Amino acid sequence: MGSLETLVAQIQGLSSSAGDISRLHVILKQAEDSLRSESTRLSPILSQLDPSIHSLGYLYILEACTSVPISKEQAATLVPYVARFISFCVPEQIRLAPDKFISVCKRFKEQVVLLDAPIRGVAPMLAAVQKLQSSSEHLTSLHPEFLLLCLLAKCYKTGMSILEDDIFEVDQPRDFFLYCYYGGMICIGQKRFRKALELLHNAVTAPMSNINAIAIEAYKKYIMVSLIHHGQFSTSLPKYTSSAAQRHLKNFCQPYIDLAVSYSTGKIAELEACIQTNREHFESDNNFGLVKQVVSSMYKRNIQRLTQTYLTLSLQDIANTVQLNSPKEAEMHVLQMIQDGEIFATINQKDGMVRFLEDPEQYKTCEMIEHIDSSIQRIMALSRKLTAIDEQISCDPLYLAKAGRERQRFDFDDFDTVPQKFNI
Amino acid sequence: MDFSLLTDALASNSYEKIADICDNLLLQAAAEGVAYQDQWPYAIHLLGHIYADDINSARFLWKSIPSTSKESQPELVAAWKIGQKLWTRDYGAVHEAIHGFDWSQEIQGLVAAFSELYTKRMFQLLLSAYSTISIQDTALFLGMNEDDATNYVLRLGWVVDPASRMLTVKKQTIVTEQKLDATKLQRLTEYVFHLEH
Repeated sequence: MGSLETLVAQIQGLSSSAGDISRLHVILKQAEDSLRSESTRLSPILSQLDPSIHSLGYLYILEACTSVPISKEQAATLVPYVARFISFCVPEQIRLAPDKFISVCKRFKEQVVLLDAPIRGVAPMLAAVQKLQSSSEHLTSLHPEFLLLCLLAKCYKTGMSILEDDIFEVDQPRDFFLYCYYGGMICIGQKRFRKALELLHNAVTAPMSNINAIAIEAYKKYIMVSLIHHGQFSTSLPKYTSSAAQRHLKNFCQPYIDLAVSYSTGKIAELEACIQTNREHFESDNNFGLVKQVVSSMYKRNIQRLTQTYLTLSLQDIANTVQLNSPKEAEMHVLQMIQDGEIFATINQKDGMVRFLEDPEQYKTCEMIEHIDSSIQRIMALSRKLTAIDEQISCDPLYLAKAGRERQRFDFDDFDTVPQKFNI
Repeated sequence: MDFSLLTDALASNSYEKIADICDNLLLQAAAEGVAYQDQWPYAIHLLGHIYADDINSARFLWKSIPSTSKESQPELVAAWKIGQKLWTRDYGAVHEAIHGFDWSQEIQGLVAAFSELYTKRMFQLLLSAYSTISIQDTALFLGMNEDDATNYVLRLGWVVDPASRMLTVKKQTIVTEQKLDATKLQRLTEYVFHLEH
């Protein structure tokens, strides 16, 4: 008991200057084992500390508290402590012990899920992500935890807020896969299919030495979102995809490949038949809702295809070709598509005709120029990043050693060109 | 719970802010462990999303509302009815859902503002999607009776053909800013420089 009190006194005394805090950090590391052994007696101590001043000490004690499995009742008392800690703690202090902070936050997530109240974790977890990350380009292990809580609590809009950032730095590959997968699901919920496609595509094409379950599930959703958004799906993956993914993904997703094949016929009946055959499969994957959206996208796709062939067409003809029941139904479909900006057309009710138009965008408004400008800026930033990484790799001793070894297998003439290659 | 931000927004008719304010308050209350469910203004929150044209968020909010609240608050159910009709794109029924309930004092302003906004959105939709449209459908979309609807669009330059009871849509020319200033040229120069080096 004595040592515990000393520790509290030390935490209270050594939490002001940076020098003090690094000394405290050493003491805390030494005390780690004894803290763990006393984990059950620690919660009263928390009330003696202020999370906004003694963040590091608070973190160590909280981590020891949560290191043992706890009951639902204990979780109910602990959750408010952790939530308060996350919202008040000082980022500079907790970043000294990122592993501890991550493990406290992960257990916090487990606890709110255990309490059947994921929404209680959403705001604290967002704050935790922001405090832990060194910049908005940094993907932490807490990103996927936050997105999962958003999904469980149905706070999709809040989840979108971190998906806008471009990620360049990843701690653990698994974090990245989960971030892309959960992020893709959030975008699907918000009907932001373009962004969803981008995230899922990243999950599928990310480097992997072995195939993983996250990539497989992402690929299934990728196929369907691609059908909904582009109206087509190509089974060939880009060249930079890992060979594990190239070789195995399709074997795990046959029903979805079949779905894409039947979609490409453009016939509703064939698509429906394929869905009936694989219905159980889609349902057990929890993808049936998305499958239904694939079906309704086919009507749109077929109407869109008409715009490529015809300048004007009667509503009756549209209904016939697209297999809708009545001209009125066709009119409503066309109207919805105009509303969503998916086609450009005008309906003439008097004659029962639709006139298809060109995209009126002439790319000369100030708004459009701003848009193009910001895209160029982004690409330039990306290209600068790539150059920097390229330079970094070409100076990396490990890489040079390997590249040099492989070079020896070639002719002397080939070898001669090496210096040129590194003269950037 | 501190609802002052929300009451301020309602009082100053800043309805577009309501969804964000409610979202933040809700997450804050939940994080603090407050038992908010019983007194949460779900109907206002829901209408806030609807006003901001964010039907997805409205739908997810509705799904997360406890069934006891849904049963005990007829106004909440009425608010969701609007969302439901928007979700299914049952354009005319949205107006019915708006007018089919006797809204309470604090919500009236919000619903009225949405009703006005929705009528404007529908008018814009008709404008962009139709060259001719029947008086009957125009009335349905705008949520008015046929005479009011005809008068509404005639004032905006549409032409009525009494024989076929059809309206001819008059497209509005949209004026957009197209002038370029010198800074843009400067920036383009920098891009070319970047590409060449």
